[in-house]
Amino acid sequence: MPNRNRLHGEEGRAYWSMVLPAFSIYLLVMAFPIVLSIVLSVSNYSGGKMFGGEPWGFAGLKSYARVFSDPLFWNALKNNFYIVLLSVFGQLPLGFIFAYIIYRRLVKWPGFWQGVLYVPNIISVIVVGLLWQTIFSPNGPIAEVMNDLARAGFQSRLEALFASVGGFNVDDGLVSKILDMAGPAALDWFSDPVPELKELILSYEGAPLSELIGDLCNLFVPRWSPEFLSKPNIAMLPVLFVILWMYTGMYLILFLANMQKIDSQVIEAARIDGASEGQVMRYVILPALSGTIVNSAILAISGSLSSFSLIFAMTGGGPSRVTEILSIYMYNNAFLGRPNLPLANAISLVMVVISFILIGLTKMAEKRYGGKEE
Amino acid sequence: MKRMIAAILLIAVAAVGGFAQEKVTLTVMNYQQADQAGYPEDVKIWQDFQAANPDITLNIEVLFNDPYHQKLQAYAAAGTMPDVFYVWPGARSAVIHEKKLAKDLNQLLGAAYLKDFSASATNPANQLGGYMAMLPQSFTYTSVMYVNTKLLADNGFKPPKTYADLKKMVPKLKAKGIAVAMLPNKDAWPMQSCLFSTVVGRMAGDDFLDAILAGKAKFTDKPFVAALEVIQNLYKDGILSREDVQIGYGEAAGMFASGKAAIYIDGDWRAGAYITDKASGKALISPAAQDKDFALMPFPAIPGEKNRGVVSAVAGTGWAVSASLPAGSAKEKAATRLIQYLYSNDVQAIRFNTGAYVPTRKGVKADVEPLVAKVPVFYAENPATCYVIDGVLDPAVYNVINDGLIAIGLGTKTAAQVAAETQAAFESWKASK
Amino acid sequence: MSDEIKTTALGRIGGAAAKAAAYAMMLLFTAMTLYPIFWLIMNSFKSTREFQVSQLAFPKEPTLSNYVEAWKMGDFGLLFPNSLIYTIGATVGIVFVSLLAGFAFAKIASRATKPIYNGFVIGILITAQSLMIPLFLEVNLLGIYNTRFAVLLVYIGTGLPIGVYLATEYIKAIPSALIESARIDGASFWRIFAKIIVPMSMPVAVTLSILNISNIWNEFALINILVSRTELKSLPLGIYKFSGSLSTDYGKQFAALTIGMVPMLLFYIVFRKQITRGVAAGAVKG
Repeated sequence: MPNRNRLHGEEGRAYWSMVLPAFSIYLLVMAFPIVLSIVLSVSNYSGGKMFGGEPWGFAGLKSYARVFSDPLFWNALKNNFYIVLLSVFGQLPLGFIFAYIIYRRLVKWPGFWQGVLYVPNIISVIVVGLLWQTIFSPNGPIAEVMNDLARAGFQSRLEALFASVGGFNVDDGLVSKILDMAGPAALDWFSDPVPELKELILSYEGAPLSELIGDLCNLFVPRWSPEFLSKPNIAMLPVLFVILWMYTGMYLILFLANMQKIDSQVIEAARIDGASEGQVMRYVILPALSGTIVNSAILAISGSLSSFSLIFAMTGGGPSRVTEILSIYMYNNAFLGRPNLPLANAISLVMVVISFILIGLTKMAEKRYGGKEE
Repeated sequence: MKRMIAAILLIAVAAVGGFAQEKVTLTVMNYQQADQAGYPEDVKIWQDFQAANPDITLNIEVLFNDPYHQKLQAYAAAGTMPDVFYVWPGARSAVIHEKKLAKDLNQLLGAAYLKDFSASATNPANQLGGYMAMLPQSFTYTSVMYVNTKLLADNGFKPPKTYADLKKMVPKLKAKGIAVAMLPNKDAWPMQSCLFSTVVGRMAGDDFLDAILAGKAKFTDKPFVAALEVIQNLYKDGILSREDVQIGYGEAAGMFASGKAAIYIDGDWRAGAYITDKASGKALISPAAQDKDFALMPFPAIPGEKNRGVVSAVAGTGWAVSASLPAGSAKEKAATRLIQYLYSNDVQAIRFNTGAYVPTRKGVKADVEPLVAKVPVFYAENPATCYVIDGVLDPAVYNVINDGLIAIGLGTKTAAQVAAETQAAFESWKASK
Repeated sequence: MSDEIKTTALGRIGGAAAKAAAYAMMLLFTAMTLYPIFWLIMNSFKSTREFQVSQLAFPKEPTLSNYVEAWKMGDFGLLFPNSLIYTIGATVGIVFVSLLAGFAFAKIASRATKPIYNGFVIGILITAQSLMIPLFLEVNLLGIYNTRFAVLLVYIGTGLPIGVYLATEYIKAIPSALIESARIDGASFWRIFAKIIVPMSMPVAVTLSILNISNIWNEFALINILVSRTELKSLPLGIYKFSGSLSTDYGKQFAALTIGMVPMLLFYIVFRKQITRGVAAGAVKG
């Protein structure tokens, strides 16, 4: 074998001529920004002309210290973590299952399913975000249904109450009962609940009872509002759900494509030898796909850490930062109003390091559990 | 003979060269978008300038919102600022003011020119850099109550003068399915800009905020906490609905116009949303109704307030000239002409007409619809102003206030908690300077 | 052959129940996928005022004006071809350059490979936001601001990390014996690339295309920084024009979004056949 350590003549020329295009473009487009990012993150640059303007210089790890001492950073990190978990343990298995279902011909029209399940990936995130806001808005469909239900319940109770006192027969007892039904929050709306409510009800004298009941419903029935959208942690659930929906299709295609590469003769042989579905999965399919699984995990991890537009379109990181993720956190520090580029770049580099660690863990897992490609 | 011909040629060339006007190209960054009221008028404004000034070529880049700010940051970092650009007087354009990337318009335009503008517009103290980096086209009141007086009258109420008046309205209006007041706060800033700033002005005052910045007072002191408690009570007493925290800024105008709320709290710029849209000919509130059934009022008297009747106001947006244009150059002269055109009576009248704002230029007349005409009257009736919070505090601090106000709206945090968080954010911001 | 697998599989998994469950899952996903598209297209025929009144109902007064006005105001006639150029150009560029480098890294041994290859892998983790300002600075320095060249360069550059990574991994799996025997027959490396590597790399080429096409078509942040002249802008910039902070002209925005989405869908329907073909081609091994 020729000396493998030094590239001679033709091999050398071929190597470099093939690597150079990628390498030079990469250097130009990504290397400089990466280096600049590192430099900025330890600087005290505060805006204005970067090169040739006001001088700026080394500021040490101040920005990093700020990042790590900011509870919002940990909040964003935690949310990103949820996304990573969901991506790796949700999208991948789901994509795998779908791919397997198609591969094993459990459903007809494989082409159709592949196509349709991938489409969410193509839909612009703006659409998803808007649709999302519409559905969960206090004036949206869910709210309408919930409010109608709550109102119907309250209304029938009121009607029963009025029936029990024989129609429009207003006394303090009745008023107190109504206030009890309304709940404590409503009490704050009056300076002196019982007399005021009594007065209000009496003002309906002469009008049909249904109008009074209807208006009392307007007054006291609590309006549904998607509270879970503002609770930390829980607010991430709808977001996670949408992410799952959007990206599973991509993994479906990747897994299916690689499943179809598996030599069917190997599976047949296994079957003939009496292997069960589960054994075929464990000893033939999974090992053959281990490379793809690792690649997909890496794609999923890097994608979930840098994901920005979808969540930004859906919730903007809110309300009140409960769905904020690292990229939105960085965005808020990099571009709004008074940008803090050292801080933003520190966040960015922390994100890169975290990705590194996660990807490293993934590769270690592969070495321990994965199998050979063929 | 040859020498004579050469001499004649030389003179001819010189003459031609002298008569030919020097063509100047200016780069402009305009903040505009196709769906904004006044978009077609804006397009025409720029076209008219170029038609009237053939010796000046404008390269106009038009962006809006985030892309605008991002691009401007990029230009600033590269040192290639556009020659004329749209800018905010405060923190939104902090880089421009702090790094002095814009020329001092006091010098460029001169005192004689600036005499035609209101005092608050020409006061450099109203701008972040302490000098006139730009000329505010408007001085906007950020906290106006749009009151549907007809709706109130139909339910037996007069327009509210005190907080207690507001509270009295709650049971009766709610029973009719009408919210007493509406303030859409999904985007976090409206509550702070459009109501809380006024409340802080009433309960604490500008001196208090100055003292905080000087380190002599704290957010956890009584006045600020009291202001937060007012907001807390507005939700508790049912005057504001907790639902408002889920309502987007764009949704609410339509809701108010259709009678879902008796009062709508927003800045004076919102008047433009209700007037006739020139393209479709439709208005959210008909001009006749604007005149008779609606009124603009300041927020009513709050129990315990120190400064009666102040309303939060801030210098509005305007144009700036890049500091990198060499003094006395042809480009600088061209930019000056452009600026003077943009602030001219005619152009400002067009802007006024679209309901975008009330110009700071004195004496601008335009045929505006009743609701917009009520705005300068509102200004005149409420001369005492106070700070808008996001105009004096750093984003690191006021973002915490914004989030805190949402939490108060949801009922998940108390006034004391938000005050404490704000103080903590302020202290860590100060430490990082 | 495959029928044999099919029948035994069904027999093992549990027949009808499994089938029903599978269909149910897929149908649920499909409904969730198709509904937003339907909702978008339906609403694009409503005027903004009507949309604000009812977001979920069928349009009562359907109108085409949104499309006409959006197309005009957004200059979509200009933006469309640009989006095509950027998407197709950059994707082809990424695939070609990645396969090339992948071949070199995978099959030609060199000490330089490890550091350079790892350098590429780091790039996978960089987000567009970190790139915005540095790229702007560079592009101005090099004098290629406001050029299609710069946009293509940037899009290719940002797709290279994943591209080189996947290409290298994939090509590693191509039997070296094939290459060695070709070398013995006197073929140059470039010839081997063209005749052997490229045809065998269809699956990864397809994968890379899938990954990049929709990303580039919808890309917005970087191109905003790289160009300012309308003639060079892409569709997303035009679509973004219709959503503001104070109010959103939903009617036109939906029309704009549909205009942006339809070509992707069409392309994708056509493209779906190539997937199967590409995958099938790669399934044949020597």
